[in-house]
Amino acid sequence: MNATSSGPEIRAAKYSPAGIAAGLIRRFSAAAKRYRIEWWILVAGAVVIAAIVSMTLFPHLFTHFRPEDMNAGPQMKPPSAAHLMGTDNLGRDVWSRIVYGARTILGVAIAASLASALIGIPLGLVSGFSGGLGDKALSLVMDSIYSFPGLILAIAFAAMLGPGVINITVAVAVVYVPTYFRLVRGQTLSIKQELYVEAAHAIGARRPTVLAKYIFPNVIATVVVVFSLNIADAIMTEAALSYIGLGLPAGMPDWGMDLSMGKKFLPSGVWWMITYPGLMIMLLALGFTMLGEGLSEILNPRLQEY
Amino acid sequence: MKRRFTLIALAFALLCAGTAWAQSTLVYGTTDKVTVMDPASAYDQHTWDIFQNIDRGLLAYEPGTDKVVPALAERYTINKTGDEYTFYLRHGLKFTDGTPFTAETVKWSIDRVMALKGDPSWLVTQFVKEVQVVDDYTVKFILTGPTPYFPALVAGNPPYFPLSPNVYPADHFITNPSELKGGALVGLGPYKCTSFKRDEEVVLDANPDYYGPQPHIKRIIIRYFDDATTMRLALERGEIDLAYKTLNPSDISDLAKNPKLNTFKIASPFIRFLCFECSQSVFKNKELRQAIGALVNRPEITQKVFLGQAQPLYSMVPMGMAYHENNFKAALGDGNVKLAEKILSKLGYTKDNPFAFDLWYTPTHYGDTEVNLGDVLKQEIERCPLVKVTVKSAEWATYKQQFNNKQMPAYLLGWYPDYVDPDDYTAAFAQTDASAGEGIYFSSKKWDDLFTKEQHSLSPKVRGEIFKEIQAMWPDESLTVPIFQGNLYIFTRKNVEGVKIGPPLIFNYDQLRFVK
Amino acid sequence: MRRILNYFLMRVLLTIPMLFVLLTLVFVVLRVMPGDPVSAMLGGHAPEYVIQQKKAELGLNKPIFEQYIDYLGQLAHGDLGNSMIFVERVSHPISQRLPATIELTLFGLLVTLGIGIPLGVRASRKRRTAQDFGIRFYANIVYCIPVFWMGLILQMVFGVFLPLFPIAGRVGARIISSDFDRTGFYVLDTLMKGNFTALGDVLMHLVLPAFTLGITLSGVFVRLTRANMLDVLKSDYVLASRARGVPERKVVYKHALKNALIPIVTMMGLQFSALLAGAILTETTFSWPGMGRLLLERIYLRDYPTVQGVIIVYALFVSLVSLIVDIVYAIIDPRVQL
Repeated sequence: MNATSSGPEIRAAKYSPAGIAAGLIRRFSAAAKRYRIEWWILVAGAVVIAAIVSMTLFPHLFTHFRPEDMNAGPQMKPPSAAHLMGTDNLGRDVWSRIVYGARTILGVAIAASLASALIGIPLGLVSGFSGGLGDKALSLVMDSIYSFPGLILAIAFAAMLGPGVINITVAVAVVYVPTYFRLVRGQTLSIKQELYVEAAHAIGARRPTVLAKYIFPNVIATVVVVFSLNIADAIMTEAALSYIGLGLPAGMPDWGMDLSMGKKFLPSGVWWMITYPGLMIMLLALGFTMLGEGLSEILNPRLQEY
Repeated sequence: MKRRFTLIALAFALLCAGTAWAQSTLVYGTTDKVTVMDPASAYDQHTWDIFQNIDRGLLAYEPGTDKVVPALAERYTINKTGDEYTFYLRHGLKFTDGTPFTAETVKWSIDRVMALKGDPSWLVTQFVKEVQVVDDYTVKFILTGPTPYFPALVAGNPPYFPLSPNVYPADHFITNPSELKGGALVGLGPYKCTSFKRDEEVVLDANPDYYGPQPHIKRIIIRYFDDATTMRLALERGEIDLAYKTLNPSDISDLAKNPKLNTFKIASPFIRFLCFECSQSVFKNKELRQAIGALVNRPEITQKVFLGQAQPLYSMVPMGMAYHENNFKAALGDGNVKLAEKILSKLGYTKDNPFAFDLWYTPTHYGDTEVNLGDVLKQEIERCPLVKVTVKSAEWATYKQQFNNKQMPAYLLGWYPDYVDPDDYTAAFAQTDASAGEGIYFSSKKWDDLFTKEQHSLSPKVRGEIFKEIQAMWPDESLTVPIFQGNLYIFTRKNVEGVKIGPPLIFNYDQLRFVK
Repeated sequence: MRRILNYFLMRVLLTIPMLFVLLTLVFVVLRVMPGDPVSAMLGGHAPEYVIQQKKAELGLNKPIFEQYIDYLGQLAHGDLGNSMIFVERVSHPISQRLPATIELTLFGLLVTLGIGIPLGVRASRKRRTAQDFGIRFYANIVYCIPVFWMGLILQMVFGVFLPLFPIAGRVGARIISSDFDRTGFYVLDTLMKGNFTALGDVLMHLVLPAFTLGITLSGVFVRLTRANMLDVLKSDYVLASRARGVPERKVVYKHALKNALIPIVTMMGLQFSALLAGAILTETTFSWPGMGRLLLERIYLRDYPTVQGVIIVYALFVSLVSLIVDIVYAIIDPRVQL
């Protein structure tokens, strides 16, 4: 974030929550007028996410079938009035499996992103701020992990930990810690140079205070954007893990697993078992991506791709 | 544009070349996997299939039947008490590495199986006391007792096949042919294995030294597929000529309707059942085994998972085999939630304190349907609110280790015949030593005595009575719970003939041929 | 020349710590995680002395630090150990499967660049028009398509409905790969042997997997190319070229694109990890006998030494590629101080 941007001023001493909220609202309405397309992208993303979140919270509003009920309907029936997305090979209603499967994938993705943020951000802040040998060493570790294909790391962890919701969350979280670390450290390094930080030091603010009151709030806008994009990534990783079969124990409805189950019936003409889970994964990931991209354009139009 | 055209032209050329080639080479697709290339330790259908084509036993089945005929032995005699078999071997035969085939090699091979104590070794040690070399071409088997189906044991089971002592190590198992002296498999059968790439291909070429008639098809390539769907498509597109084990039920229905393919449905004694670890796990208590057995709903399983292509089975002895009864139907029933609730509440389980256990399956060894089978069973068992099931899975190699190590309290298993006799479907799970080999660890002196009696009785009446009694006792002990009996399907292109698979489920590749 | 060598040496030296970190991470993941592989192998009910014996055999009873030193020492000699499930060296299946993955990844990269760069150039030339938005929309959406779903859809459309391409494996079922297999790179091998029918077959088998991998990752290159081109097209020498009357086509493709491509080289290096990850999913979907499938197969079989070996090879590979990319970048970018 640039202290000399042409938008609303950032005043170093006034970082109350109300102030931040007011600032954001100001920005949003300005954005709606200026960035027409990006604004609608953000809205679209938010709508998709809201819809899917409500699926996880109130599944009974969306379907009256239970996802494990094998007698919901005849086996392998194409989409119809009774079954909007058809039935699977055991006679379970596909739409109900989508609705109940949402909580698995969304839950894991959000929890994993939160976990990696909670670890990566503080580490990045402290490391960037303190500098020195510790910073160099930690950066090396984080860079190494970051450059390694994330999915392979997630697979290794998932395989070692075994099936289970918590284990999968950990496996996915590990992959993204370096993302937050690098982002926050980079931001910290540049903000550290700013004049107002030097001023804060001059008036005798102690280091934790500087970190918390001056650096962190300036970092947070970028973090929110990355968080959203990260959730999209985590969704794809979780779907990949369960597609491979390293995800959850059998029985819990899961989009990735249903996809891998459905492909067996494709040559028999059963297209609905893979089309819908795949579409939903794409939609959910797209929702968070649009939210993140829209936010990034609005909060900081000059944010570079990282 | 030009590049695309060249590619299509090349593809077309390949197609033509491929079709012309098909006449002397048959490509056989399967989703099974080879385990270990050692007849003393391999105990799965597919690996045995290969052995049954590159090796031979002293006797063999006439292709497509269960009639035993001479093979490496020209003839045999039995002594009066029925416990000594003398085989007179063919002269002048050589293994593909040049080693002469003599009575010495027969004894060496049997001794090796008995010494190494692999999984299938009970098929030898249970019945054979010792092997004596009478002279170069005469060998005598001294049995543990009179065994009416001994010729069947010798005919179909690779542990009885003679191996070349110059190739196989005497003191340990081998896994890959590369570990053999000379690096290749060696045998006396109609084919020899000329290429082995695990999980990719096995190439079999006709063996010029085979004593019998040469196979019609000179080269067979076994192609290993990762999943049934790809294999089905490969068959439809003509990329493979034959597909055997294990297609999905939906693929089977579709392929059976395809006019360009032949369908061979083999009413086979292939059974699937639930096993319990009876010595240390929660299922030590036979009442718990009964409760879970009662909850299984066979018609629902055969319909949901197999689209009606399998039949509910109510005894470990398959339908169509001698002495088959349906005791489980009357004793425990299907989806008998009431009975299960009665047993479990008597044992102190409640809705808040349910009986919880792990149910295991293996995801590929028996086909892709296992996941569904696990799901459906879980649903059926949990219809009784006093039970909670956690479904787990492990690949076959790990699965075997786990049941040998008593790590799975309840697990799904399947069985193909080693020899066509009800003994193979009962003693193999209930007789103390064999039961341990399958991870069930059931042991009862009463049952062991009954088995020993029928194994050494030459009277069909006596054996019939014993099997009736054993099947009647089975639901009470429920050490295993039979679920269904399956059919085996082979699909071939229209120009392939000669698929002859009889009750022993032996697939002789040398009978296959192309027709115009 | 000496400057390049110095740079090269410096980069190699920097690669070593990164490799070190990854190897340590692999070691930690596989040793310190819950689930004792030996107990799993022998069974929780196996007598204690048998477990101890097996552990001693595998060197697992020594203190962790000693195991770590042994592990590093082994690796320094290029020894990846023996499989725990099959009687084979870990390097055996890896050497068989690695070329398959490399071939797939390379062709995937070709497709990605082949789609991404032209689209990016187009978008930059038709800025803020429908084409531009359409292409950018494509770029954003395509990253959210799960690789395996893309693979299934391509299989369905081009493999089943219009049976144009094979949907599984590297070679047709009727071709015996050992006939031409020398290096494991079938495209190369068939060319060397002059077996053009086999070459055609191999290439046909590469089409769908390469496109699956390539399409999903093309979005990044579209955006990058577009952004770079926009930058470059604003620069002075482009203005000068236009003023001199150089035809627009030449300006864009000959002058601008060349300079815009430089950051793309770096991006290729970074995207390589994404390619490897996507390759695993592509291999699963298309039954491609590569490293990704080997990793999964051996995980299911609990063959930890092989799993470890595979991950190490991936780490080596990633380090190597990033090293090469850095050096190439240093050579071609005149702005980099050597």
